[in-house]
Amino acid sequence: MEIATRTHNDVTLVAVAGSLDSNTSPQAQQALDGILANGARKIVIDFSAVDYISSAGLRVMLAMAKRLSGGGALRLFGLNETVREVFDISGFSTILAVFATEAEALKGL
Amino acid sequence: MEQNVHAGSPLGNGFQLTIEPDRGAVARANAAFTAFAEANTVPAPIRRSLNVALDELLQNTIAHGFAGRQGGAMTIAVELGTDRLTVTLTDNGRPFNPLVTAAPDTARSIEERPVGGLGIHLVRQLMDEVHYHRRGGRNVVVLVKRLSGGKRQV
Repeated sequence: MEIATRTHNDVTLVAVAGSLDSNTSPQAQQALDGILANGARKIVIDFSAVDYISSAGLRVMLAMAKRLSGGGALRLFGLNETVREVFDISGFSTILAVFATEAEALKGL
Repeated sequence: MEQNVHAGSPLGNGFQLTIEPDRGAVARANAAFTAFAEANTVPAPIRRSLNVALDELLQNTIAHGFAGRQGGAMTIAVELGTDRLTVTLTDNGRPFNPLVTAAPDTARSIEERPVGGLGIHLVRQLMDEVHYHRRGGRNVVVLVKRLSGGKRQV
């Protein structure tokens, strides 16, 4: 798994590539913690290169959403069919802000 | 680590992998499964669903099945038929039926939601069949994913 970040005005875009599973989630958590520690409050995660996500990866997303729930924003876009299915099954589709494209995810942020 | 690959059999393809339940075992199992699935043109959504199920179940076994035990071993046996993909997970850890856990309440809000049980819920929903047996002192979990008509490119 690889994580690359860039900024767009006051929004931090985080591109994740690979899988978000029990093996990679500690590394993803650490990277996202670092981004939060740098003061980012509006975070958009690009899922278009995420192959699959398991409950370990969902926990990382949930932790991020909780930490940004007061005065921040977490948005996701580019989920493949399987990631979308996992989000739907777990109920995460309704509790996280999921968008189809980067432009839609950035709109009004 | 032992790995046997049987490819090109007229009855279908399969492979078997036995791994020690150490750190990195789940990643090795999933990498081997992905390589097999891609070599056999298993549709990506089906392959990914199994990747998730393997992560949940193998991680669960490593975390709970072998604590304080030596000589742990997990075997992943994959059988690709014409209409279904069957993955059988066998381990010699303590008796544990992963299917006997309550489904999470996915209607609750982020703050009040516990995370336990979510992995097994995903496995049940992503697979077409999930079976558990305790057989010969081993835990056996069988996962079945149907290959829907014409999706598999041969």
